Amino acid sequence: MGEIKITVNGKEMIGKSGDTILNIAAENGIEIPNLCYNKNLKIYGACGLCLVEIEGAAKLFRACATAAENGMVIKTDTERVRRARKVALELIMSDHFGDCKAPCHLNCPAHTDIQGYLKQIALGNDKEAVRIIKEKIPIPASIGRICPHPCESHCRRRLVEEPLSIAYLKAFAADNDLASEDPYKPAKAKPTGKKISIIGGGPAGLSAAYYLCLGGHSVTVYDAMPEMGGMLRYGIPEYRLPKAVLRKEISAIEELGVVMKNGIKIGKDIGFDEIRADFDAVLIAAGAWSSSKIGCKGEELNGVIGGIDFLRKVNLGEIPDIGKSVAVIGGGNTAMDACRTAIRCGAEKVYVIYRRTRAEAPAEDIEIEEAIEEGVEFRFLTNPAEIIGENGKVKALKLQVMELGEPDASGRRKPVPVEGKFEILEADTVISAIGQKYDGTGFDSVALTDRGTIFADENSCMTNLEGVFAAGDATNGGASIAIKAIAEANLAAKAMEAYLDGLPVDFKKPYYSEKKMTEKDFADKEKIPRAKMPVKSPEARKRNFDSVIDGFTDEQARAEAKRCLECGCHDYPDCRLIRYANERPIEPQRFAGEIHESFVERKLVSIERDQGKCILCNLCVRTCSEEAKKGILGLVGRGFKTVIKPEFDDSNTTEFCKTCRRCADICPTGALEIIE
Amino acid sequence: MNECRKNIPQSNLESLESVLAEYAAIPGSLITILQKTQEIYGYLPKDAVYHIAERVGAAPAEVMGVATFYSQFRLVPIGRYLIQICRGTACHVNGSERVAAAVSEYLGIKSGETTDDGLFTLENVACLGCCSLAPVIMINGEAYGNLTPEKAVSVLENLREKEGAL
Amino acid sequence: MRIVIGEGSCGIAAGASKIRSAIENLLCKGENLSIGTTGCIGMCFLEPIVDIYEGKKLLKRLVKVGEKDAKAIVDAVRTGDFSGVDYITISAEDEQFLEKQTRIALRHCGIIDPTSIEDYCAFGGYGAFEKTIKTMTPEEVIEEIKISGLAGRGGAGFPTWFKWNAAKNSRTEGKKYLICNADEGDPGAFMDRAVIESDPHGLIEGMLIGAYAIGAAEMTVYVRAEYPLAIKHLEEAIKQAKNHNLLGENILGTDFSCEMSIKAGAGAFVCGEETALIESLEGRRGMPRLKPPFPAQSGYMGEPSNINNVETFANVPWIIEKGGAAFAAMGTENSKGTKVFALTGKIKKGGLVEIPMGKTLREVIFEIGGGIREGKKIKAVQLGGPSGGCIPAELLDTVIDYNALAQTGAIMGSGGMVVMDESTCMVGMAKFFLDFTANESCGKCVHCRIGTKRMQEILTRIVKGEGRKGDVELLEELCEAVKEGSLCGLGQTAPNPVLTTIRYFRNEYDAHINEKRCPAKECSALLTYSVDAKKCVGCTLCARKCPAKAISGEIKKPHFINQAICIKCGQCEKSCRFGAISVR
Repeated sequence: MGEIKITVNGKEMIGKSGDTILNIAAENGIEIPNLCYNKNLKIYGACGLCLVEIEGAAKLFRACATAAENGMVIKTDTERVRRARKVALELIMSDHFGDCKAPCHLNCPAHTDIQGYLKQIALGNDKEAVRIIKEKIPIPASIGRICPHPCESHCRRRLVEEPLSIAYLKAFAADNDLASEDPYKPAKAKPTGKKISIIGGGPAGLSAAYYLCLGGHSVTVYDAMPEMGGMLRYGIPEYRLPKAVLRKEISAIEELGVVMKNGIKIGKDIGFDEIRADFDAVLIAAGAWSSSKIGCKGEELNGVIGGIDFLRKVNLGEIPDIGKSVAVIGGGNTAMDACRTAIRCGAEKVYVIYRRTRAEAPAEDIEIEEAIEEGVEFRFLTNPAEIIGENGKVKALKLQVMELGEPDASGRRKPVPVEGKFEILEADTVISAIGQKYDGTGFDSVALTDRGTIFADENSCMTNLEGVFAAGDATNGGASIAIKAIAEANLAAKAMEAYLDGLPVDFKKPYYSEKKMTEKDFADKEKIPRAKMPVKSPEARKRNFDSVIDGFTDEQARAEAKRCLECGCHDYPDCRLIRYANERPIEPQRFAGEIHESFVERKLVSIERDQGKCILCNLCVRTCSEEAKKGILGLVGRGFKTVIKPEFDDSNTTEFCKTCRRCADICPTGALEIIE
Repeated sequence: MNECRKNIPQSNLESLESVLAEYAAIPGSLITILQKTQEIYGYLPKDAVYHIAERVGAAPAEVMGVATFYSQFRLVPIGRYLIQICRGTACHVNGSERVAAAVSEYLGIKSGETTDDGLFTLENVACLGCCSLAPVIMINGEAYGNLTPEKAVSVLENLREKEGAL
Repeated sequence: MRIVIGEGSCGIAAGASKIRSAIENLLCKGENLSIGTTGCIGMCFLEPIVDIYEGKKLLKRLVKVGEKDAKAIVDAVRTGDFSGVDYITISAEDEQFLEKQTRIALRHCGIIDPTSIEDYCAFGGYGAFEKTIKTMTPEEVIEEIKISGLAGRGGAGFPTWFKWNAAKNSRTEGKKYLICNADEGDPGAFMDRAVIESDPHGLIEGMLIGAYAIGAAEMTVYVRAEYPLAIKHLEEAIKQAKNHNLLGENILGTDFSCEMSIKAGAGAFVCGEETALIESLEGRRGMPRLKPPFPAQSGYMGEPSNINNVETFANVPWIIEKGGAAFAAMGTENSKGTKVFALTGKIKKGGLVEIPMGKTLREVIFEIGGGIREGKKIKAVQLGGPSGGCIPAELLDTVIDYNALAQTGAIMGSGGMVVMDESTCMVGMAKFFLDFTANESCGKCVHCRIGTKRMQEILTRIVKGEGRKGDVELLEELCEAVKEGSLCGLGQTAPNPVLTTIRYFRNEYDAHINEKRCPAKECSALLTYSVDAKKCVGCTLCARKCPAKAISGEIKKPHFINQAICIKCGQCEKSCRFGAISVR
């Protein structure tokens, strides 16, 4: 066979005469996307991804099936080719029913590999579980206790009966690891010689410090408070997060080599410009430490205190004088922390004033439940109209009675005042837990958003100042949950490393295939109730700050972890389809329509077939007949309704499958999986 | 024999023998064999499909692949009356959609299904080639042309009456 | 005198067999009155047709004959006095239907007895073949075909001589196959069926000439299983040809040997594509193969094969007999000879029409077809079925020519010509064809398998009044991709009905999407029936006719339609004698 010379995307290459464009390009380092080609099988030409333009020809050609000819000038990436390829991928995706990643993973702001660590917990490998968790969350024992776990709200097991207790399982594994003789210790990269300073030692600051330190950078964290931990240390009450646990996790970070400097307030103890000058990059993770105002008459009275201010005092060891009767305003988790802390501080009567109903309250239901158990009285559909004082001190609250009107932008029904209807509530202390804000003192040169938070570019995480980055509650969208702050800090850490290396950053959200499912899809699934966390009785817990929860038993935790449905695709790392789907933006939803019936079957011995993921490339059928010479798999039906199905009638064949497995190996998606 | 084989109703496979004797050895005769098989049974019984596969030396999956590719083949028995609704272009232009909808509604079945009493099987066919009589349906090979939804239903009513009288 | 009954599928469907038995029942024992049979003359709108012949001379053509007319016919033949059958004699106007045609491929259809080789030979049958094998070399045959300009009548219009030449030269020894594609898949076309049913020997003769030219020793006809009568007649004809040494070893005493067989398709439109057809002939799923290799290099059973359509072969004996130049004298610069069309739809006179290339669509529809039924206005004509397109009324002066038709966005196609009037919804038409192609896609290529499905879904939501802004653009984008990305003709041409309707009837798409209105008043989901209280006299007829019981009202008082229950069947509108029911 002779040699021929062709040009692909302007690059000249030599190939064997008679060989296909696809092969010659591949041998010369140009990959032409394809999903139905395999060099050992007969050419099939179905997927339409390998379409290329050949100079002088009117139509597009399949690179997998077109023999290259001497002098051919081929383009694999023109506008026309991209268009055809994009539609092909969109069409495939519009009929590809699978989850690249589990819903828990996608809905965890930090994108923790939940399915991965639950599996390790189920297997009893807590250290391995912690290793997986710590790829995203450096302080899992703490976060596991306090996270409002959006992962659980999206856990698909909720369609069977109840979601997994993901957060507590995380805490369980992390506790075990911390208590072990040889806790997980991550490997650190070689020192880079770069100096990074982080302002704020809360979840965001600690997380960035951890990952940047592992990256080989020299990291110093400054914090205004006496101890590290930020809101976890000074906002969250002890009964939810024992500070000993937090301290252990912070020490582990410190042991990695992060320098931690407490009691240093920027602008007072050290100038911001000074820090900027001393370090190669700076991350502001200062948090949102000032309480939002209620905005009603009497707010200046003695006895009115912000929710986080109150919690901070208690966490600093003070026992504030709150009197006998306390009114907490707000329906969020801070309000719950405040009311339950107030109970523990000895208040006899604690009220929660919330302008909507329980159903709309952003606080976790379990928090409301436990607060009620501890004696807190909820006054839903009321809103403070005035704080009535006597001698400059709070005496009572005048409450406007509310009712629910039309839904607002967030979809919640909007509370509207019932005209002329008021109530009076006696109170010694009013705690306003309706929100918290960033206080920019000390960072005068940092530009702010309209809402008064630090502006950080969504992609580069950089503020208006060169080399200054920002993450967490102080930034952009403002105060949110800890895991979100951690997620932002993780991104910022990557952005800072890229910045230090002089590389561009591009945090495009990858395209994932996602399933939409309903209870009906799981009608036949065996129901196993969610593990119940052992909780101290209200009587035993309401007058002290001991942890409310006692933690899962080992048996409980392993069984709970086994409830995981393992929604994420086993083939994600190797899936060619998703790789191509992410090369350029695609919008398969515009072609949303009927999809193939989706089910998982184990008709083939040792191989599981997920029909929803099958893209009908026919590779499995072809390898089964051409290479294995069996023909167990075959195409059934015609057109859109075509499916691949096994058909066999003797047990020898099934025995054969156990050792062959060619079909599962060759499947370009996760439709076929080897099961042991 | 494994599980899946056991569930197949055992057809009288002997009647297949003459067909297989004539065609099994001729390469490329699978479709012809399946057509003759369907002539015998009215459909393709699954055990017949497996038997044919064995005799022509093909994998059962391959034979199933062929049997399910062509619209002529049926894997389930049909009713006493096979109603073929022409969906050709001329019929479409002359209102076959309404005729089809009326027939489907009257019988309570969709294309490809058989009524519970085993009397009628409904099938859409590409074109019966009686375009000048459009819209057309064919019942057991006999064409009924120039139909309206009402006329089509009355044809079926008559058949039902006839069967009821028997 | 001889009574000849037109017993093509159409004729039988219209009642020809019943007429035959009615006539036969009237004959006295031993009466020497001959009753013959013939195929389809192509005047479907006049079926059933009974001809009375004296020798080869047609004395009387009786049309729309019923069982009740049998006695009059028999009496007329017995007495020689035809006044008793005047009432069913074809009108002078209807005779124009045939007189305006030029019949080559259809020259024997409806004239000869398709079950008799003798009858075929009496009309000069097999003369061309005998001339070929006795006096011509294969090269000369191919040259004659080249001169004729004959192109593939299946739709693609590829020069026949070129294919024959490639197959002839592909190799000199070993097996070769000649295949006839009679898998007439266009759901609005029946020319091929008519030819096989009515003139099976004509097909055999054309194929034999082709087999001789390319050096094939085996011929196969791939016929749709839906054409049982065609298969029966062809089987019979093959037997007869064998008995006359026109098939088999040393045909007519020459060195040329050739066998012939029939394979029935099993219902798959895609098998009209030649590589899919070969897969199907070999007993597999009819999924197209990659080209190259082309069938001329490696086709059926891996051997060089040549595939032509029925009508193409049916032209061949005439060309050999009269010379290629005579054929080429008809037609246009690049489209020679005649073309057969199956004229159907809202046309007055539907049937088979064979005319020289170069005639305009208007001539075919109005001069031969007699225009539109019920005095309505023509809106468009559809050519090429699911692979073709809709040509609007304003382009009716387009000539029948491969290039001229392609420029409109339609194609010549295999010969389906469906005429539509103002009551045909063009979006519905596009949906109809996409329903078809999506169902017939073999499922191999992503673009075709999922793309046609998605196009069908989008069109479905448009006709249901659920169309969204941007749907037309989405359709256009899909059309382009499906054309580009599909391996075979099915997918490459499937977008044509959508593209042409968008091109010429964009306003109808917009009306459906933006105004939720069907201008042709065909899409039932978009219709509202209402009673005009001023015109309604309260006769209660509509209420009694309504299958959904959606109409209520007291007797002699205006009635009322409950829109929530109305199934939009249109019964009320049809039944009302006072024009009180209107549709929007």
